[in-house]
Amino acid sequence: MTFTQVVLNSIVRASELTLLSLGLTIVYDILKFANFAHTEFAVVGVYLTLLLNVTLGLHIVPAAIIASVIAGLFSIAIDRTVFKKMRSSSGIIVMVTSLGIAIALRNSIRAIWGADAKNFSVAPQAPIITEYFRITPLQIWIILVGLAAVFAFHLLLHHTTLGKAMRASSDNPDLAQASGIATERIITWVWFIAISFASLGGILIGLETYILPYMGFAIIVPVFCATILGGIGNPYGAMLGALVLGFAENFGLYINFGKILSLGGILDFAKELLIPTGYKPAISFIILILVLLIRPRGILGKKKGG
Amino acid sequence: MGFVNFLVYLAIMMGIYGILSLSLNLQYGFAGLANFGQVAFFCIGAYISTIIVLVFKMPFIVGLLGAMLIAGLFGYVISIPTANLKEDYWAIATLAAAEIVRIFFLNEDWVVGGGPYQGGSFGIGGIPQPLRSLFSAHTYPFLYFAIVLVCLIATYVIINTLTQSPFGRVIKSIRSGDNLPQVLGKDVKGFRMKVMAIGGSFGGLAGCLWAHYHGFVSPDQFLPLETFIIWAMVIVGGKANNRGAILGAVIIMIFYYSTRFLKDYIPIEAVTLASLRMVAIGVLIVAAMLFMKEGLIKEKKTIY
Repeated sequence: MTFTQVVLNSIVRASELTLLSLGLTIVYDILKFANFAHTEFAVVGVYLTLLLNVTLGLHIVPAAIIASVIAGLFSIAIDRTVFKKMRSSSGIIVMVTSLGIAIALRNSIRAIWGADAKNFSVAPQAPIITEYFRITPLQIWIILVGLAAVFAFHLLLHHTTLGKAMRASSDNPDLAQASGIATERIITWVWFIAISFASLGGILIGLETYILPYMGFAIIVPVFCATILGGIGNPYGAMLGALVLGFAENFGLYINFGKILSLGGILDFAKELLIPTGYKPAISFIILILVLLIRPRGILGKKKGG
Repeated sequence: MGFVNFLVYLAIMMGIYGILSLSLNLQYGFAGLANFGQVAFFCIGAYISTIIVLVFKMPFIVGLLGAMLIAGLFGYVISIPTANLKEDYWAIATLAAAEIVRIFFLNEDWVVGGGPYQGGSFGIGGIPQPLRSLFSAHTYPFLYFAIVLVCLIATYVIINTLTQSPFGRVIKSIRSGDNLPQVLGKDVKGFRMKVMAIGGSFGGLAGCLWAHYHGFVSPDQFLPLETFIIWAMVIVGGKANNRGAILGAVIIMIFYYSTRFLKDYIPIEAVTLASLRMVAIGVLIVAAMLFMKEGLIKEKKTIY
């Protein structure tokens, strides 16, 4: 694999992770709990897309958009029935509840659609092959959607009343409410935005690989890792964290650590020391634990909390 | 499988999961440490005991103590990066650590010495059962139940004594925030690490009992799913109450194993049934958190 190819794969992965970690971070920012059901909500969107796209024969783009909107609305419904009753509970109680929701969602999907891997019905597209890299039109789309999401988020946070109200509620919920900001209305929007974006991220992952009921669990640690890496509660941190993690996951397998340890072949040991591919999922886990050890508030984290 | 055999099997599972539930209750119920990777201790205990007994040809009791020691050590080590952090970080870090453990045993087959023991994704079979030769196939499960029961009672007595001691009062104060114990001059980080070490070693004990009962271990048996089942036990039974933790284990195990027979009565596929069973576990956790925060047996509040 060429160096350019690894860079490209890293950017694709970072785009997918960005879509998911942005939502996790804003939910944490406003509701002050780590939502372990976040990626499962995304998988709800993925399977709704599958229903619209494969069972009902809708084109993938409208199917993905409609499904993501429904997933967003679904998360609002769950918030109203469960999380709303826990607004004054401590973060740990809400977090454990979200774990229960995650288990119920993941297994409901498995009960309805079965445990087998599935695929969207999309016309196969020829990859663009050059001397240095190979990219599919889908991967270009993934990068574009990721960039668009980042741009939309920036506009939302800094150029809309909702964004201003969100930032105010995050800094000081009591003051925000006293100043006439309807906290509950903001929470509703936060859920909708967070889960629709996450759902899009999940659909893109499903398009690039395949669809499984367990895909939400498979990605929960990388998504949390990206979020914590950048500084939990900080949307820009989530984007940066996704980028760092995307590169770390791909370069972790590409770099020959033997060469580094033997100082470029000067010392005479361990010429070939690559991380075995079986450990790819462990890379994000290990980075997560390293981050917690060295800089738990993340790269862009605020000093308070942690 | 006869009905009596099934009951003995169920009782053994209740005992093993009761130990796991007591261990998680010490961590979450008493000390407020949300360990989402409880299965790691279970997995380490099972593998370490298997390696000690099968590869190094040591007696069962050495395997049991080794499993407790290594799993406890693991609990101590994984709490180093997280001991000063808030519960959300704790949850995700332990979840990640448990997956690392499973991926390790999935990829490294040399840990069991290679050769006839396979290892890796194939699992390890032929794990000897303690005192097996002295009993017939029919009576052995009863003996094993006795071993499990002794371990469960020992775990209960030790954890119960601990939680009622000054140590227990400190960890309960840590649960409600770092400020109070810090003002009293308590080493919060040190106490958290001790809780993880103790909790870990009992988790390891459960793993050892599991491995030697089934005679077979594989990485598939230690999926995160197991952690969630143990969580349901603690939450339904009543957190910060040791009897509650055991009651939770009994209830969840009855539910878990009795619903397996539903497929004999209603036309439903085994995979779908397994999924629905986990849906129920998830819903149960949510419902308990919403309507029955204290669980079935409430925490004893003592005024000192």
